[in-house]
Amino acid sequence: MIRPIWEYITGLFDVHLDFGPEFGGIRGRVQAIKPMVLDRWIMPPFGWIKINTDGSAMGAPGNSACGGIFRDCKGAADLAQLQATMQAIELACSSIQMHVNPAAAEATLLSLSQSPRPYHACQFILENSQLANARFQAAGAIRDAAIREWALLEAADRRGLISFCLCFIMNNANSPEGYVLVKVASVAAQLLKRGWPDFTAAEKDAFFLEVKEAVNGSHGLDVQFVGINFLESLVSEFSPSTSTAMGLPREFHEQCRISLEQDYMKAFYCWVQYAAFNVSSRIIEAHSEIPEVKVCSAALRLMIQILNWDFRGKNAVENLKRGIDVFYDGMKQENSSLRRSECIFVQPGHAWHDMLISSGHVGWLLNFYTALRQKFSCEGYWLDCPLAVSARKLIVQFCSVTGVIFPSDGGHMQRQHLLQLLAGIVQWMEPPDAVAKAIKSGKSESELLDGCRALMSVATVTTPVVFNELLKNLRPYGTLTLLSALMCEVSKDLMENRTDDETWSWVARDILLDTWTTLLMQLDGSGHNNSLPPEGISAAANVFALIVDSGLKAASASVLSDGDEYDFLQASVTAMDERLNSYALIGRASIGATIPLLTERFSERVMRLHQGKGISDPTETLEELYSLLLITGHILADEGQGETPLVPKEIESSYTNIMEVDKHPVVILSGSIIRFAEQSLDPEMRTSFFSPRLMEAVVWFLARWSSTYLMPPERSGENKSSYENCNETQHSTNALLSFCGENNQGKVVLDIIIRISLSTLLSYPGEKDLQALTCYQLLHGLVKRRNIISHLVTLDSWRDLANAFANERVFFSLNAAHQRSLAQTLTLSTSGMKTPEASNQYIHNLTSHMTASLVELSSKNDLKTIAQQPDIILLVSCLLERLRGVARASEPRTQKAIYQMGFSVMNPVLIFLQAYKDESIVVYLLLKFVTDWVDGQIIYLEAQETAAVVDFCMRLLQLYSSNNIGKISISLSNTLRTGADAEKYKDLRALLQLLSSLCSKDLVDFASEPIEAYGTSISQVVYMGLHIVTPLITLDLLKYPKLCHSYFSLLSHMLEVYPEIIAQLNVEAFRHILATLDFGLHHQDVEVVDLCLRAVKALASHHYKDSGAGKVGLGSHATSYKEPDGKFHEGILGRFLRSLLQLLLFEDYSTDLVSSAADALLPLILCEQSVYQNLANELIEMQVIPTFRSRLTNALQSLISSNNLSSTLDRINHQRFRKNLHSFLIEVRGFLRMFVLRGHCYGSGCFLAARLGWQHGSVASIDVKQACPSSIRPTLAGFGLNGPVLNGLAILEPNPNPSGLRAKWATIGL
Amino acid sequence: MSDEEHQFESKADAGASKTYPQQAGTIRKNGHIVIKGRPCKVVEVSTSKTGKHGHAKCHFVAIDIFNGKKLEDIVPSSHNCDVPHVNRTDYQLIDISEDGFVSLLTENGNTKDDLRLPTDESLLSQVRIFLLRCMQIKGGFEEGKDLVVSVMSAMGEEQICALKDIGPKN
Repeated sequence: MIRPIWEYITGLFDVHLDFGPEFGGIRGRVQAIKPMVLDRWIMPPFGWIKINTDGSAMGAPGNSACGGIFRDCKGAADLAQLQATMQAIELACSSIQMHVNPAAAEATLLSLSQSPRPYHACQFILENSQLANARFQAAGAIRDAAIREWALLEAADRRGLISFCLCFIMNNANSPEGYVLVKVASVAAQLLKRGWPDFTAAEKDAFFLEVKEAVNGSHGLDVQFVGINFLESLVSEFSPSTSTAMGLPREFHEQCRISLEQDYMKAFYCWVQYAAFNVSSRIIEAHSEIPEVKVCSAALRLMIQILNWDFRGKNAVENLKRGIDVFYDGMKQENSSLRRSECIFVQPGHAWHDMLISSGHVGWLLNFYTALRQKFSCEGYWLDCPLAVSARKLIVQFCSVTGVIFPSDGGHMQRQHLLQLLAGIVQWMEPPDAVAKAIKSGKSESELLDGCRALMSVATVTTPVVFNELLKNLRPYGTLTLLSALMCEVSKDLMENRTDDETWSWVARDILLDTWTTLLMQLDGSGHNNSLPPEGISAAANVFALIVDSGLKAASASVLSDGDEYDFLQASVTAMDERLNSYALIGRASIGATIPLLTERFSERVMRLHQGKGISDPTETLEELYSLLLITGHILADEGQGETPLVPKEIESSYTNIMEVDKHPVVILSGSIIRFAEQSLDPEMRTSFFSPRLMEAVVWFLARWSSTYLMPPERSGENKSSYENCNETQHSTNALLSFCGENNQGKVVLDIIIRISLSTLLSYPGEKDLQALTCYQLLHGLVKRRNIISHLVTLDSWRDLANAFANERVFFSLNAAHQRSLAQTLTLSTSGMKTPEASNQYIHNLTSHMTASLVELSSKNDLKTIAQQPDIILLVSCLLERLRGVARASEPRTQKAIYQMGFSVMNPVLIFLQAYKDESIVVYLLLKFVTDWVDGQIIYLEAQETAAVVDFCMRLLQLYSSNNIGKISISLSNTLRTGADAEKYKDLRALLQLLSSLCSKDLVDFASEPIEAYGTSISQVVYMGLHIVTPLITLDLLKYPKLCHSYFSLLSHMLEVYPEIIAQLNVEAFRHILATLDFGLHHQDVEVVDLCLRAVKALASHHYKDSGAGKVGLGSHATSYKEPDGKFHEGILGRFLRSLLQLLLFEDYSTDLVSSAADALLPLILCEQSVYQNLANELIEMQVIPTFRSRLTNALQSLISSNNLSSTLDRINHQRFRKNLHSFLIEVRGFLRMFVLRGHCYGSGCFLAARLGWQHGSVASIDVKQACPSSIRPTLAGFGLNGPVLNGLAILEPNPNPSGLRAKWATIGL
Repeated sequence: MSDEEHQFESKADAGASKTYPQQAGTIRKNGHIVIKGRPCKVVEVSTSKTGKHGHAKCHFVAIDIFNGKKLEDIVPSSHNCDVPHVNRTDYQLIDISEDGFVSLLTENGNTKDDLRLPTDESLLSQVRIFLLRCMQIKGGFEEGKDLVVSVMSAMGEEQICALKDIGPKN
């Protein structure tokens, strides 16, 4: 039986407690216990009462505490005990509050919630404690303990706990400490959910009956408020996103969710609606703030929360429709990723129709708010008072009601509903200019913002046309006009006050932009309804013009401010702002007006630039051009995201009447920009106008524009068949596309682009960002497209670029990474050559210069002295980067040339690796080059070449290892030392990648003969490599997650595919690998553990199968033996079995791992039957309670026998064992884990410390698992004051063996 | 440090310059740079602009390779910086005297006795642990040729930068 908490208090001091007669009037003979060592509390004889007292002090004078317990011969706990517990908790709470010894206090509180069945004590505290904090903690303790012990509790106890909590909140509804009530309510909600599937409907109804009465208001306002609060925590507990995990699977939460939604949600809503209705009338009548306001806003909040519920309707149960729902959710999320302000659909399903739509509920709400508005002048009400805020929120929420709640009458009902809402809402923001003015003069902006939110909700649930029509029923203009007017006001305010902190106009701008995006995205998605109403187009045009002008104004104003704060409108080129995307959507909606506007603004600025040449400072104009280029780029073209973007639909479908290429507005706009860009080629213009920043915008624009418009691929045949249908559209599109097609201007423009790139690379020294854009976006984008490449290679300018790159020294001053990318780009462009020979020749020409200089350098006699010179280091690293770039561009047709390139530098690479062994940058480059080269080449290599490459790789590994093993760096600077670690990590990661790519040779091989012909065995090579590399990988280095991951994935791959070879490794290497595996098993990363489990499985299965077939298996590694000096060595499989069981039973891990753990466990058990038996016996021994003991015995038995488990390692058997393990864990883990938790002794070191005369703070916590010398045993007993963690301490015996101690712990107490 | 020894050492790179100019934009993290006349290792490079439409500048944060002090510098990225010539030489360790000076064997058979182990206590304890481990495995460094000291020199200063045991096991 579980003993009560205070079982084992032993007194060490004679402290006389005077509890007074109110404690049950305990009288009689009192026996004081002398300081002594007790093994166990002994009951006093009949008729005696035993007092155990204890006290302690931290320093003298200092804080001190004492307590005691009176017990009779039955050892029963009584009032005094409860009182003492309460005092201990109260003391702890107040010491936390005063921040006196918080660790000890926390430990005390923790001990309460971790003690078995603390309910009685907690209830006592809740009912009697004067200290609100203590009550709060007690409620938390009930929750913790009940959730933990739920399975062990009787049904009556469960119900009792919940009704206790409910009664408590109802009875104490008027208590001033609201947070205690909220806590207790949430405890009740959690417990109710925990038992939800087990309670019968009648039991649930019994709980809710009380709540319903409370909410109805029949017990007064306070109770009503508390009742609503309880429902609030219940709903949030059942909603998946806000629920507490409680250690239960998702299915459980899902079931609860569905059940609540089906059976109770509507009833809850009904109750609060009724409550709100009743109190609202009283509020409207009253002239000042009355208590009903509190109830009313709580009711409104709960209504909002219920509407926020993720309704699935009945569909959730029927799987059929659910799939669609989930899909629908996903779609919506994808769309909304563009938007910042989220708008959630409210789709309660048709069952809610009568309550929400047809009952006049909305009308009541709107009227209520209107009445409330008139009261804002009264005392106690204002625009932002909680009641008004909730009411507005609820109204906004109603705007997004959609779905099957409306009958399928073509949306008529929904329009009516929205119209009704809009009529109310529109008053908040009309007329926009007056509202904006009022806000500027100090009125709160929240009504306007909520209005905007409502508009967004409406936009989300309707189409643009319907959206626009809605307002027309009330006003002479449409909603879009209102939207545009609002946007104008907001932009004006933004332009006027450019401050750093977010003002209302920022928020409003974001919401309005999202509204536009929502409306316009729908146009994008649904092809059939492809236009805004004309009114909408002009509204969009207005907005866009305003955006452009305010953007320009902001740009010129921001010129003088420093670079740090250009977040106002400027998205920096690379981090493209989503705001520009929204602007572009608006601009495209009114494309007819947009393009001419942009053209005009652009040429105006260019003109101004030329006129002011030499006279005025061009910076403002430059900045304006910069922002114009950005917005134009967004309008004209989409971002490809890896695919070739098409011409945006809006651009394609407009201008159908324009046939001539030159007059197409888009062509005019693009043409003028390209001509402007071309001017940058003139050195004089460049220095005076083309600042690096402007050039960045130009290059970015060219990259984006060219991927859509430059030499577009031919339209497929499908389009040609529909040619006649849309003759005109097609024609205009063709006009647009042919402008830069292959036969027209395309080549000229391409030539200009290449020359611009060359000049950005050469004439802007040190401008990294600009050059990065040129290399990565512009040039790289060009060579990705086949029809451009074929023209590219014929251009003189391209040849110039290649020549300059190969021969001119200037290119060495580019950033090394850019050089790599250029080399890659140049190599990729060879696929445009006509014959493979030409491509190979081209690469040969490109690289021969570089390889030759590397070879020459490496063969110099004085290499050792000159190698360290900075200029040589720079040269070598640049060349290596370039070669790496070439190697990364490996393609089948250029493979030969690239292999030759790498082959010729094999020797130099080794020489450099030796020469630069202390120069980490170069070493890393060397390794990366080899890794990339091997990765690109290995699958194509012939057997002989493979042999050479493999040999080279081994030499590289060996050299690296001999240079680095056993080395410590001595540097005064901490940063440099950690830097050295990081470098090592990167090197090793490269080496592991190298090994992995060698591995791939065994899987994919295009060689004509098998590689074994030359005596190469990939598996042996990789094991050799691992052998060389693993000593370098210390456990410290494995803390780098990426390295850890690649190491374990390589290791598990090797063990799975070639388990036989590992047995051939020598003892040390083998041991090292196993040590890392053991480390990996206890890693936090689930994936790493999974990889290790797979590796263990592979090892054990291999051993089992092999030894079954009479072979050696893992040989001597697997067997246990005794060394001469008596040390016992367990076989590795036995060791893994032990640690895996330990992990599964006692430690925390993700449930995803159970299956792979099962896969590893089965072969281990099969291999080491006897070890398993021993372990099982040990586990059973630890149990003293007969019921648990028999449960454990049965579970262990059925783990290896149920489900017809056989002793083979086939798939079916593995599946069976997985099932077995799952049920085994569910059966036993709960009670096994409980003991271990209690084996820990948390915190409270201060009590101990004081007792032992130690300095305060010298012991922060004591882990009983480790600290168990007999000297502290008696003092630990005093510790009992803190609760039951030490329950049963008295039979603790001095035991130097920690694991033995754990066994002892487990036997105690229960 | 005796002057004679020093002259002897510096003869080897007579005529070789102590620093080289290199464009600031090409200096990378982990590279070397001279800041305020001190040879440093770069630990952080960031770029910024002078005004919106001005030119790029590199901002270097670097650590003095000898005394571990942190230094910073801002250079226009198209300008040149000085890069120190950092040389590393390996010597066999012959002996460590009680005051921390080491006796090293040069390639031509002479000894070099002017360097000492770092005085910083935490570093020194690390070195002691390392040496102890080596001795336990190999039974003292005097018998084998298994301890190598790596000496870093730049701009006329030198310091021990790494220890390495090249036991027969590798």
